[in-house]
Amino acid sequence: MGDIRESQRGRRQLAMVLDLNKCLGCQTCTVACKKLWNKDSGSDYAYWNSVETQPGRGYPAEWRETGGRDREGSVKRGEIPNIDDAYGRAWNFDHQKTFESSGRPAKQKEWLRPDSNPKWGANWDEDRGAGEYPGNNHYFYLPRLCNHCTHPACLDACPRKSIYKREQDGIVLVDQDRCHGYRFCVEACPYKKVYFDYERQVANKCIFCLPRIEAGVPMACARQCPGRLRFVGYRDDPEGPIWKLVDEWKVALPLHPEYGLAPNVFYVPPMSPPQLDARGRPTGEPRIPLAYLESLFGDSVGGALETIVAEREKRRRGEPSELMDLLIAYDWNRNFALGPKDAEVAIG
Amino acid sequence: MKKTFDLIAAPTGMQPGGYVPVVYSDRAGAKTPSASLEVEHSTRGWRFRIAWPCPDPVRETGAESDRFPDAAAVLVPSVADAPWVTMGAPGQPIAGFLWRADRETLYGVRAEGLGTVQRDEAKGVRRLASEWSAGEWSLAFEVAGWKELEETRQLAIAVWRGSERERAGLKSISPGWIGVET
Repeated sequence: MGDIRESQRGRRQLAMVLDLNKCLGCQTCTVACKKLWNKDSGSDYAYWNSVETQPGRGYPAEWRETGGRDREGSVKRGEIPNIDDAYGRAWNFDHQKTFESSGRPAKQKEWLRPDSNPKWGANWDEDRGAGEYPGNNHYFYLPRLCNHCTHPACLDACPRKSIYKREQDGIVLVDQDRCHGYRFCVEACPYKKVYFDYERQVANKCIFCLPRIEAGVPMACARQCPGRLRFVGYRDDPEGPIWKLVDEWKVALPLHPEYGLAPNVFYVPPMSPPQLDARGRPTGEPRIPLAYLESLFGDSVGGALETIVAEREKRRRGEPSELMDLLIAYDWNRNFALGPKDAEVAIG
Repeated sequence: MKKTFDLIAAPTGMQPGGYVPVVYSDRAGAKTPSASLEVEHSTRGWRFRIAWPCPDPVRETGAESDRFPDAAAVLVPSVADAPWVTMGAPGQPIAGFLWRADRETLYGVRAEGLGTVQRDEAKGVRRLASEWSAGEWSLAFEVAGWKELEETRQLAIAVWRGSERERAGLKSISPGWIGVET
């Protein structure tokens, strides 16, 4: 990773770090985002922010296999996910019918169920994970949103220049007045975080809660997170949490750096308890295979995990650790470095 | 005037952006191989009828993420022999009408180069018919007056096959400006 201050001289980049060791999979971020931005029926299937269980097929299903970059970072033909097979069509529940049957004998009760026959959804394979219980079963939650890449594949793919990256904060936006709904952006994004509004016939995507950011307020997904696992700030702010976690401590890593797009959402990789042998004794091998984490976050995962473990041990010995204090989020204000209104998030 | 001609695949190598020229470079041949064009000019204006083969029509896209409608366009240069394959150029606009199978009305379109198309509801144009039958689309529409066409006597057509996910620069086009003799 080069010196971001050098490579982005003259412009700023807003960024986010998510500590996967603290994600509960509660989907509060998903709901906060969806309720705020994305309730139109033409994008009812679309979740700008989603939380998926990994290992898993994710959302949209098999997104890593259908994007517009290969593992060498070269452009390749992507796919537009199908709404039934890959995203999952939004469904309704008939709460009234279920409620009205509540007084009937058990066999006549109507269970709350979808009014259609969905094949997939944004959290379809929740908690399935991989491995065999009790020896090496494992999973973790991976919240995903637009990475507001330094080199956005969506921007590069749009023949109409409908997608642009703001100089002042690096937020990637769709100009929906220019967009003609061609969906090359959907095809090309290897993270599959650009969506198509089938009613308005335009692309849409996470806007990093732009109006909130301009008011100095963190994104809804970050602000509403009960686990305090999200950090928000500018990449060039050496006093902010992003710089400390990404550049100073090097414990926060981009998702699929091999795509070559320089994502600006980073993840503190998940630690895991040891596997058990046939007799139930810890083997010393982590349950989440290092190779799997490397397939997501690159070759620096091992070093990041070693740093976290070492700092955690320091804290256990009663020694100070700036990294642990930051990750624990004792002071939630330190999670966000946006401007004078940061104080809004102060608690207690 | 009535003409039938072969269509060619619009060259993907010159399309804007870094994606389409790379990943669609293997497109060989037009998805829609040919089209026929009838043009009548009278005191009432211009009447067009275009027909082209389409074995698997896409009339609507509905609540889907990955469907594209069949479409066709008739385009005219503002000055004779303006660049046709690039949809005009700065200072040399082209303009015309875009029909999409999922819409009742036509779009008016205008461009000064690839990636610059502006579209709005067409004015002064009346769709007479758009029918699919026996593997062929037939589109007829009438334009009250078309000054550029009267001056240049040139037009080009483009056809998008929805079942092949054609849109934007992924299209079949006439092999140059077609001379209009009426």
